[in-house]
Amino acid sequence: MTELSEQAFGAPAAVPGPPGGRAARRGPGRGRARRALARVPYVVVALYVLVALAGPLLIDYDPVHTPLEDRLLSPGEETASGATAWLGTDGLGRDVLAQIVYGARTSVLIGVCTVGVSCLVGVALGAVAGYARGWVDAVLARVFDVLLAFPAVLLAIVIAGAFQRSVPLVVLALSATAWISFARVTRSVALSVRERAWVDSARVMGVRAPAVLLRHVLPFAVGPVVAMATLEFALVILAEAGLSFLGIGLPPSTVSWGQTIAGGKEYLETAWWISTLPGIALSLLIVNVGILGDQLTARYRSGGLGRRPNRDGSTP
Amino acid sequence: MTETRTRARGRLARLVAALAGVVAVAACSTTTGGADAGGDSGPAGEVTAAGTYPIDSLDPHGPEGASTGTQFAAQEIFSRLVRPAADGSLTGDLAASWEPNEDVTQWTFTLREGVEFSDGSPLTAADVVASFERMTQLDGPNAANFPGYTMTAASDTQVVLTSPAPDASVPGKLVLFYVLPEGVAADDASFFAHPVGSGPFTVDSFTPGENLELVPNERYFGEVPQAGRVVMRTIPDLSARLTALRTGEVDVIWGIPDDQLETLEGEDGLTVETVPSTAEFTMWFNSSVPALEDARVRRALWQAVDFPAIVEALYPETGSVADAPVPPVVLGYAPQDPVDYDPQAARAALEEAGFDFSTRLRLQFANDEFAPFVQAVVSDLDEIGVQVEPLEKEQAVFTEDLLALNWDINFQQLATPTFDAASNLGRLYPCEAGRNGYCNEELDDLLAQAAASADEEERTGLYDRASRIIWQDAVGMYPMNVSIAYAWQQDLEGLTPDPSGLPDFATVRAGGS
Repeated sequence: MTELSEQAFGAPAAVPGPPGGRAARRGPGRGRARRALARVPYVVVALYVLVALAGPLLIDYDPVHTPLEDRLLSPGEETASGATAWLGTDGLGRDVLAQIVYGARTSVLIGVCTVGVSCLVGVALGAVAGYARGWVDAVLARVFDVLLAFPAVLLAIVIAGAFQRSVPLVVLALSATAWISFARVTRSVALSVRERAWVDSARVMGVRAPAVLLRHVLPFAVGPVVAMATLEFALVILAEAGLSFLGIGLPPSTVSWGQTIAGGKEYLETAWWISTLPGIALSLLIVNVGILGDQLTARYRSGGLGRRPNRDGSTP
Repeated sequence: MTETRTRARGRLARLVAALAGVVAVAACSTTTGGADAGGDSGPAGEVTAAGTYPIDSLDPHGPEGASTGTQFAAQEIFSRLVRPAADGSLTGDLAASWEPNEDVTQWTFTLREGVEFSDGSPLTAADVVASFERMTQLDGPNAANFPGYTMTAASDTQVVLTSPAPDASVPGKLVLFYVLPEGVAADDASFFAHPVGSGPFTVDSFTPGENLELVPNERYFGEVPQAGRVVMRTIPDLSARLTALRTGEVDVIWGIPDDQLETLEGEDGLTVETVPSTAEFTMWFNSSVPALEDARVRRALWQAVDFPAIVEALYPETGSVADAPVPPVVLGYAPQDPVDYDPQAARAALEEAGFDFSTRLRLQFANDEFAPFVQAVVSDLDEIGVQVEPLEKEQAVFTEDLLALNWDINFQQLATPTFDAASNLGRLYPCEAGRNGYCNEELDDLLAQAAASADEEERTGLYDRASRIIWQDAVGMYPMNVSIAYAWQQDLEGLTPDPSGLPDFATVRAGGS
C-alpha cells in the first residue's frame, strides 16, 4: 500500500498541462457547457448549506408538537390553522417540508462535526506515523489496518446503541472509523514528502520536527485531504440517516431525515410523500457531494503535489 | 412478565428478523400458492397463518412459556384444564367441572373421561399433577401465578389445587397451564422435537423462530380439525405480512394497524374484523417520585391530555377510550366516570399543588409502534408547560427499569390473559407488589377481599370499589381499550377472531368445500 501510494502521488507530476486541458481542445461552446455543468454540484451543495443555515429562521417547527387534526395531509393541502402543507404532513400531522429543512441542518451539522473531528485525529496521527517512521509508524499503521477490518456502520451501531441518544454521541460513533482514511492518506503523503530535498534542508538547518511537519510536510496533504473530506462528508450523512432510520443515535426531539423516512415506511402505499421526499433530499445531497468530491480528487491528483515544487525550481 | 406480551425484539434483532422474513417469503413463494389460493383444496386444504411474534419454543412451562408465540403453539398441541371462550368466560377443556371449597383455598377439578394423548396413552390425574410440578419446578413466568400452590390427585379423574391463601381466580390463572405427559424432563429436546399432547393438532415440523407445521390429531377428544395442515409462519415485518395476505400466500394475519386497515377493507376476497381484546393502554405514574407523590398532580396531568382526540385520530378502528383500569372483557370490569379534557383546569390544579414546571418527566415505553401515541401525549402535556421526555427502550432494558421503578411515567399495553382482574389489579396494585410506587391500605383490603370471594357478583362489586380508588387517585392514566384487527381470505371458514391474539385453528377450514 505504501509503495502504491507513493507512486500515485509521484506520477501525476509528469502529466503536462492544466486539468481542463482536454475540454478546451473541443471548441469553446462545449467547453463552456461542460464547465457550467461541472459547477452544478457546487450550487446544489451551497443551496443545502443555505437551507440548513437560514431555513430554520424562516420556517417554524416544533418536533414535540403534534397537530393530530392535520395528519396525513397530501402535498399542497391546507392545514387546520390555515397554512399550506406544501410537502404534506406525516402520521402525527407534522409538516414534512419543515422536517426536511430542519433535517438538513442536523445532517450538515453532524457531517461537518464528524468530518472535522476525524480529519483532525486522522491527519495528526497519519502525519506523525509517516514522518516518524520506525516503530511509531509500525504500531500506528497496524492500528489503522486493524480498525479498517471493522465494518464502519456496524461499529457505529454498537457505539450509538450502547449509550444514551445525543448528537455528540452520533458524531463520536461515526468518527470512530471515519478518521482512518484520513490517517492513511496523510501518512502516505508524509512518507513521500519527508524524503524531499526541502525537508532535508530544513532538518539540517535545525528546524524542530513539529515545525517541519507543520510547515514543510502537511501543506502537501491539504489537497488530497480536502477531496477525502468531501467524500467522507457524503458517507457520514448517509450513515447518520441510516442510524436514525434504525432508531438509534439521535433523540426523537432532534429532527433528522432518517427518522422521517422511518416514520413514513408504514405509509408507503397511502402517503408516499413522508418517506419519499426526505429520501430525495438525502440522495440529491449525497450524489452532488460525491460528484464534488470526485472533481476535487481529480484536480488535486493532477496538480496538488507536483506543481509547487516545480515552480520552486526543485526536483519533482 | 405476562403483562408485557413478551416481545424481545431488539432493534438489531428486528433488522435481522426482517431480513430473515424476506428470505422466508422468497423461499416459500415457490412452494405454496396453489394449495390454498385455488378453489379445489377441499377439506384437506392447507391453512397458512402469519403471526406477529416468533414461536421460539414449544415448552409451555419453560422460560418462553408466557410469550405470545409459545402460547399460540401450546393451545393447538396441548390441552389445559380450562380455556377461555371468545367472550372471556371460561369453559372446560380437560376439566368437565370444577368447584372451590368453603374458604376458596382448594379447587377440585373433575377430568373429562377417556382423553388420550396423541401417542395413544390415556391422560390421567397423574399427568396433570406431574405437569403442574414440572411448571413450578422450571419456575418459568407462568409459575409466578402459583407461589406456594400444590396440586394433588384425589383419584384418577380428580385433581385438587390448594393455595396458601384464598384465591378465587384459580380457574382464570389455569388458562396458562398446559398438560404434558408424565416424565418429561426439563430440557427434553427429543420430546419437544415431536411433542405428545392431547390438543387438536400434532407437530409435523418445527423450526424455532420461523415456522411450525401442524397436522390434525386423530385422537383428539373434541371434533378433529378439518384443515389438513396448519402452517404458522413468522413474518415480523408488517408490510411483508400484508403483501403475503394480498398475494394469497398466507390465509390470515392479525395485529394490523389502523392506517393499513382502510386499504385492506377495500380489497375483494378479504374479510376484515376487529375484536375487543384484554389489553389496555396503561400509563402508570410513579407515585414514589417527589414530583408525582400528590394525587392532585397526577389527576391534573391526566386531565391535560386529550385522549379521546388522540384515540380517534390514531386508532379510529382498533381503539376506544377506556373507562376502567381493566377492559370490559375482563372479570372485575366496572365503568368509572370519564376524565374530561380541560388543559386550563389542569394547569391551575398543577399550580395550586405546587408542581415544579422545570421538572423533566421520563416517559418510558418499549415498542416503536407506540411512538406516535406517546409523542401525542407528550405534545399535549407540553401545551400546559409540563416537560416530558419520551424514552423508547429495548424490551429487556424496559422490563428491568420497570421493575426498578426507574421511570416517572410508564407506558404499557397491559394484557390480562386470564380474563380476571385478580391477575391485573390484584397482582400489580397492592403496596407489597411495589410496581408503581402507589400504596393504599384501603385498596389492599379490597383487593384481598376480592381474591377471597368465589362469588362473581361480589367480586365485581369489590373490584368496582378498588377501581374507583385507582381511578380517582390516578395511579395511572387509562387511555384506551385495544381491539385486535384480523384479516383473512374470504374462502377461509370457521375462524373466530380471538381477544388475546391467539386464534384457534381447530375449527378453521380452508375454502372450496
